[in-house]
Amino acid sequence: MELKIIHFYPDLMSLYGSYANVAVLKRYLEELGNTVTVETVVPGEAADLSGADFLFMGAGTERAQKAALADFVRYGEAVKAAAENGTAALFAGTAMELLGKTITAADGTVYESIGLGSFTSVQGRQRFVEDVYGATDLYSEAVVGFMNKCSSIEGVETPLLTTLDMGFGNSGEKTPEGFRFQNVLASELTGPILVKNPRLLEHVVRAIYARRSQTPPAELPRWAYAEEAYTITEEQLRLRWQKAQG
Amino acid sequence: MRKLLAILVCKLGRAVGRLVGKGSSLPGKYALKICPDILRRVQLPAHVIAVTGSNGKTSTVEMIAAILRSGGKTVVYNEEGSNQIEGVTTTVLTHATLGGRVKADVLLIESDERYAARSFQYFHPTEFVITNLYRDQLTRNGHPEWVYDAILPAIHPDTKLILNADDPLSSCFAQDHENVKWFGLNPCSITGDKPTGVYHDGAYCPLCHAPMEYDYVHYNHIGAYRCTKCGHAKPATDYTVTAADLDQGRLTIDGAVTIQLAFRSIYNVYNILAAYAACREVGIAADTAAGVINNYILKNGRMQKFTLGAHKGVLLTSKHENSIAYDTNLRYIAASKEPCTVLVIVDAVSRKYFTSETSWLWDIDFDLLNVPQVGRVILAGQYCNDLALRFSFTGIPREKLLVQPDIAAAAETLKAEGGEQVYVVTCFSDRDKLLAHVVKEA
Ligand SMILES: [Zn+2]
Repeated sequence: MELKIIHFYPDLMSLYGSYANVAVLKRYLEELGNTVTVETVVPGEAADLSGADFLFMGAGTERAQKAALADFVRYGEAVKAAAENGTAALFAGTAMELLGKTITAADGTVYESIGLGSFTSVQGRQRFVEDVYGATDLYSEAVVGFMNKCSSIEGVETPLLTTLDMGFGNSGEKTPEGFRFQNVLASELTGPILVKNPRLLEHVVRAIYARRSQTPPAELPRWAYAEEAYTITEEQLRLRWQKAQG
Repeated sequence: MRKLLAILVCKLGRAVGRLVGKGSSLPGKYALKICPDILRRVQLPAHVIAVTGSNGKTSTVEMIAAILRSGGKTVVYNEEGSNQIEGVTTTVLTHATLGGRVKADVLLIESDERYAARSFQYFHPTEFVITNLYRDQLTRNGHPEWVYDAILPAIHPDTKLILNADDPLSSCFAQDHENVKWFGLNPCSITGDKPTGVYHDGAYCPLCHAPMEYDYVHYNHIGAYRCTKCGHAKPATDYTVTAADLDQGRLTIDGAVTIQLAFRSIYNVYNILAAYAACREVGIAADTAAGVINNYILKNGRMQKFTLGAHKGVLLTSKHENSIAYDTNLRYIAASKEPCTVLVIVDAVSRKYFTSETSWLWDIDFDLLNVPQVGRVILAGQYCNDLALRFSFTGIPREKLLVQPDIAAAAETLKAEGGEQVYVVTCFSDRDKLLAHVVKEA
């Protein structure tokens, strides 16, 4: 297939190695024999989302996020339409908040987001920084990651991580984390979440194929280093969690 | 009375601490319990110089102290690097009379960038050097703008800021501040024409978020930036490296003072310039400053030479989670002309526990090692798989990569054959794991 990835604001929303999500997905799809193009969206310049197979936006500082939002609102209807027809997407870090109803900045200013989800984000002057170990409804393996945010998020009905054993979720310690709407995934887990979680990468790949009414190989390829890195991380975090349980 | 008691407790605590080899923040902590505003009640020297920033604090402070002392000034500083308010309190009270007068010409403080505001609510620096602000230990720092916002309340209107003109973010501290001196580099041997690295934190103006343009760049996004909208741009500099040749290890400040570099890194150039600027601002003569920093070898140097079998080696220490420090060391290796092997070790990101925070590996520009003279790259430590995955996204040919989780085994592999130059890139917490297997050079 000829697949199109849309990468929103790669220079503006680029914290914590966010770009790696696009890099691994592109390579993975190419290894499956597809041709993949990545189109970047730059603030102020026109972009065409039609025919996109995957939408991505990475994490940005709270100020960069507002600058991104100011531009992103014009894509609000197009993104919602794409989401409704099953387009796969990942909004990582502070980009997740752009999918909700509103973002309240630390100074109290309220910003309208695109409203794909009915949740609200309130930013504060404290950062929540810690490892995360949790579970998702999408597959049976644990999800691993690292949280680094200053927001509390209320009103998510369909979280990406349904339970957390360890770490800060949407609205507090061990609360569910992230947001999911059909094939749109969002998570404040920082950085390369698809790199750290090979099963999540596979889920995205299957979603991309499904929207094209295609079936990927029953046995998806596994990258040895990614699998081994995940195995070590999952084991170490699980041991830490078990130790904390006493 | 509380003041005297706090001073006594701190002095006593420090004396006991020295005997038993304990750190220097505890006595200050007790003193602050007894008298929370003790730092307001002491009589500080005429000059209080503070240094903060993402990189170069410790080196800059060390050189400032050496220059000031050579210029005949007495200096008190938190040499042991306890740079939060408790450590600062210990330093100040240990060197105070019982009446609370600090016996020195200059109090010099290396300040943690996140806690500067806490330290400086009771007193403020007369000179405040901010070396730079970029991605550094994001697990504790969040991101550079978060750190910027944390430092901002630490800046008193009366303080003279000594700022890096080449850094688009930390230069914003000059907004609405009268008293600013600038240091920066003119184009030199390493200067390029556009930002480098895998991310572009200098792509947009930190003040108005319009795109920025660059006339030249010394490394990453550090150079001559210009906002296309609001006028934020590299200002004219008061202290300037007017010529620098890193191959020759030579730099010239203000067209007059020539200095030989003991360590030919761009970092060293900025640290020297920042130290020079701070010392000149408190009245040290140019010759005196130049005399000290010429061929200055840092006590806390981040470069360790060693031999391993027939190999000569250099260990370059970067802070983990600091991609620009890594890039600088990788650039240093890439500038070498001889065939070499590079060993990258990531065994512990945190000293305390395993963490999944490896996103910083993706922020490092490992493609800098994709040069012919780097014949082999060995990836070692607990995170060697994460490293290998990251390296598979560089242009470095696969056959040059060797993955070896065990650091001792990696050292053994090297020792067993070959005699090429070896560079080791790792952080403070992992460096001893390699140094245990080599013969260190003095
Ligand atoms: Zn601007």
